[in-house]
Amino acid sequence: MRSNAVGWLLLAPTIVILAIFGIMPFVYVLYVAFHQWNPFGANPLMIYNNGDNFRRLVFDQEFLTSIAFTLKFAFFAVASEIVLGYLLAQLFMKEFPGKGFFRTIHTLPLIVAPIVVGSVWRLMTTPSIGIIPYLLKSWFGIDMNIGRDANVAFALTVIMDIWHWTPLVTLTLLAALVSLPKEPFEQAQIDGANRWQIFWHITLPMIRPAILATVFIRLMDALRTVDEVWMLTGGGPGAATRYVGLHIWKLVFPKTDYGYGSAVSVIVLYLTLVMCWLLYVGLVARRDQKRTA
Amino acid sequence: MPNERPWLTVLLWVVLSIATLFPIYWLFVISVKPAVELFSTPSLFLDTIYWKNYVKVIGDDTLRRYMMNSIIISSGNAVLVTVLAFMACYALSRYDLAGKENIFFWTITNRMAPAAVFLLPFFLLFTQVFAIGDWKLYDTRIGMILLYCTFNLPFAIWTLRPTIDGIPKELDEAATVDGATTWQVITEVIFPLARPGLAVTLILTWVFAWNEFLLAATLTSFNARTITTGLSEYVTTTGTEWGTMASISIITLIPALIIFSVVQRHIVAGLTFGAVKE
Amino acid sequence: MKNGLIAAMAIGLLTTVAPARADFWSDAGAKFQGVTLHGVTESTPPSNYIKDVLAPEFEKKTGIKVEIETTSWDQMYDKAIKDMEAKTGIYDMVYIEQDIIYAYLARNFLVDITKSLKDDPSLKAPDFDETHFTTFANYFKNAEGDLFGIPMEAFIKLYLYRTDLFNDPAIKEAFKAETGKDLVPAKTHEEYTQIAEFFTKWGKDNGKELWGTTAQAHTGHPASWYEFFESIAPTFGVYNWGIDASKNYAASVANGGTMNSDKAKAALKYWLHLRDIAPPESPASTWTEVGTTFAAGRAAQGLVYGENAAWIASDAEKSKVVGNVGVALPPLEPGVMEEAEAGKGYIGYYDGGAFGLPVTSKNQQAALLFLQYIGQDSVQSGWAVAAPRITNTSTYDDPQVIEMDKKLGGYYTMLKDQGKLFAGAPPYPFHAQVREATAPIFYKILTGEVGSDEGLDQMAAAAEAELTNLGYRK
Repeated sequence: MRSNAVGWLLLAPTIVILAIFGIMPFVYVLYVAFHQWNPFGANPLMIYNNGDNFRRLVFDQEFLTSIAFTLKFAFFAVASEIVLGYLLAQLFMKEFPGKGFFRTIHTLPLIVAPIVVGSVWRLMTTPSIGIIPYLLKSWFGIDMNIGRDANVAFALTVIMDIWHWTPLVTLTLLAALVSLPKEPFEQAQIDGANRWQIFWHITLPMIRPAILATVFIRLMDALRTVDEVWMLTGGGPGAATRYVGLHIWKLVFPKTDYGYGSAVSVIVLYLTLVMCWLLYVGLVARRDQKRTA
Repeated sequence: MPNERPWLTVLLWVVLSIATLFPIYWLFVISVKPAVELFSTPSLFLDTIYWKNYVKVIGDDTLRRYMMNSIIISSGNAVLVTVLAFMACYALSRYDLAGKENIFFWTITNRMAPAAVFLLPFFLLFTQVFAIGDWKLYDTRIGMILLYCTFNLPFAIWTLRPTIDGIPKELDEAATVDGATTWQVITEVIFPLARPGLAVTLILTWVFAWNEFLLAATLTSFNARTITTGLSEYVTTTGTEWGTMASISIITLIPALIIFSVVQRHIVAGLTFGAVKE
Repeated sequence: MKNGLIAAMAIGLLTTVAPARADFWSDAGAKFQGVTLHGVTESTPPSNYIKDVLAPEFEKKTGIKVEIETTSWDQMYDKAIKDMEAKTGIYDMVYIEQDIIYAYLARNFLVDITKSLKDDPSLKAPDFDETHFTTFANYFKNAEGDLFGIPMEAFIKLYLYRTDLFNDPAIKEAFKAETGKDLVPAKTHEEYTQIAEFFTKWGKDNGKELWGTTAQAHTGHPASWYEFFESIAPTFGVYNWGIDASKNYAASVANGGTMNSDKAKAALKYWLHLRDIAPPESPASTWTEVGTTFAAGRAAQGLVYGENAAWIASDAEKSKVVGNVGVALPPLEPGVMEEAEAGKGYIGYYDGGAFGLPVTSKNQQAALLFLQYIGQDSVQSGWAVAAPRITNTSTYDDPQVIEMDKKLGGYYTMLKDQGKLFAGAPPYPFHAQVREATAPIFYKILTGEVGSDEGLDQMAAAAEAELTNLGYRK
């Protein structure tokens, strides 16, 4: 009854655009990744160097440290955002005065550009004269120094990320929640199910695809964060917040190490892909079975 | 959902809003202080207001041009992406296309790439591949609108898919039986039901395009430069002009807020699935 | 800055409408009707003056349109390099900071200005003369003495101190009682440390937000790396970042370099101690914060970039210490001054940049006109007032500049008389590469993860490894 040709036609513009702006640049980067290329090297031309770049990065302590810190950052940030975002989305499902107003306020952080977010947090946390260290000192006698204490800097990048991106989670989950059919919930209430049972047996299975999509997006965005962290800490103290996106930025921008930078990018892309693929297979495969059943 | 204690909820939201607003309030504080006071003992409240940063920013033609570029690029991109993603999701959800789950997964991989290293191929693409005579895709608004699809389209497809999947197939089948064309099914059956999802997609893709910095910084210069990129002009080796930067940021919140409040109205429950009852 | 700019704009307009030779510009411009020149530069006050004042003026006189794109430092480099590397020809003028000129020259990115003007005398503006530049222009010349960039900004990083504190009788007395010495700007590192310690303690004892010194010691931003290698190490006699080009680009002592020499190690210890008695924001301070810290009156003395020294001393909207700023030469180890005077060393950083013409430009002739336009003596004084930079010798004698010099505590006089003791970045084509290769270790030294001696050893090794990797070190 339905022609698949129409389906392909609907999908075609997406595939074309992503092929041009996604695949073509990727092929180029992959090509560069197999070369030694620094325009300010003694030989500024591209020189094919086998897989040297990839061999080098396996032993690159800076890169490995950066990966470890990035994963830690992404885990804390994304996990908190999902839990918090879900709870807030549920809160928005209730009726209460001023709902539209609060929803607008809650989404405000999204429209502040990352470099501005980084700048504000930097000014708020400047040791001794930023408002946060100042209040901590005068109210609780705590000394907070983002330039010296790696844990403080790490925590601040996580908190900043949560502040900035929880609204995104809230919005996507809210969209999923409001689209749910009401009947199963009404039925469950009639059957006397408690809140936890409703969440676990009805809400969660129904919005799992939306949660998964949100986790994916947040995870891959957190893994390639640059602007905010660059403004807030510059990657310091030491290497504590030199997350992999920033690490690559430093390799490619100031250091102009295009060859090695490309290799690192390809590997990071590959790692992200594998991680997401495992999540996807683990969670979606099950969903598909259920759906076709 | 019924709410037994609405005022408690309101109280909770007030507290949450203070936490959410504080950095934005601080951005405002920075914007109305002369530079000399930023490095003095801070105080939570303002005693005097210094408007010069705003006077400087509002009178600046260049910034106004950046702002227009931003509005056009973000809106153009958000609409384009939402429409394309809507079509793509419908196709992925309703048609039995060979390898469609792989295509679905492939789309998101386009968002995973760390941007820095991709700037060079983008630059070459924009200046040498898409160049006809003197015309280049480089530094054009349409170029940015298309380019932002690489990270926004996957995002939109992934956020919309659950919504479209969630709309029971029985509905379009019933409509098709009644003689509706595919176009009518999409616009008259699916569209109204997918509105909350579409609204959220539109808002968030708009936000991503609005906030994008690195790509715009590299691929635009005089004509298509966006306001987010313009902000980096105030971070220099001589020093960062926090006040100017903050006042521009505060001003850029306004168009974003307007678009938000218009589009957000569509994120409402109540487009009930009553029709689905079997 | 804005008011200054408007005033300067007016002055600029007045002084440059010299009727005598105005014809040259309109005649020369006639050939390039409809041409638009594109330039890219960092959005600093000197560049903004080009964009807001000189470019429109030039356009009026010649009919050639000029669009100057101002952006952040990293972006500016990235865009210029991509354009020149890919031979796209987007830019007709690029900003060249002194530290990247060698890299650009090594790649033949730039047009030889001297030669081009010789080859086509019809383009030579009567008021433009290469010999009118200060010695700073030498940084933009090749071995034959040909010019590849028109200097547009030049500063020195100098020692600032608070005259109100140094002249306060009570403080002077307290200092004398504690140290047995008179409170005057330091000449040596010991004196500087002593004064810094005194003021930090004095601030604490008196409940004041005051510390003895600034420190540009960010733990994740190259600003700290720069402060050490450009401003601290040379005062201990460690020059050119401790890398010796004549010895196969050696950095480590074992191979003939000085990056981990005893002098370098002593310099780092000295500076780390200063960092510890500097205001608490120092570990998070780049040049921005150092300038603001001093301007907010939180430090009694410090090393500050010249471009910031000017507004600190004169702009009341940005600074609380207007009128209370004294300038002096940086404190030195014995022997360093003699080496600097003999031309074998230097005592601090001479920083600046020029405008160059990429060989990939499609409007080279028109761009040459513009470059000559901004290099003329006649446009300099308004520019120097709007943005405290001097690139032409005659600018020092301009009445407005002399007037301003008084406000700046003699900064221009120092630039003029002692500028020769300062030096720009070493003539290496691998500036950012070596910096980025060694900076992560430097940040670890700052956080205490690595000891300072051990850290410098590691840095010297890392620098050599990177130079080998780049192919310079054989």
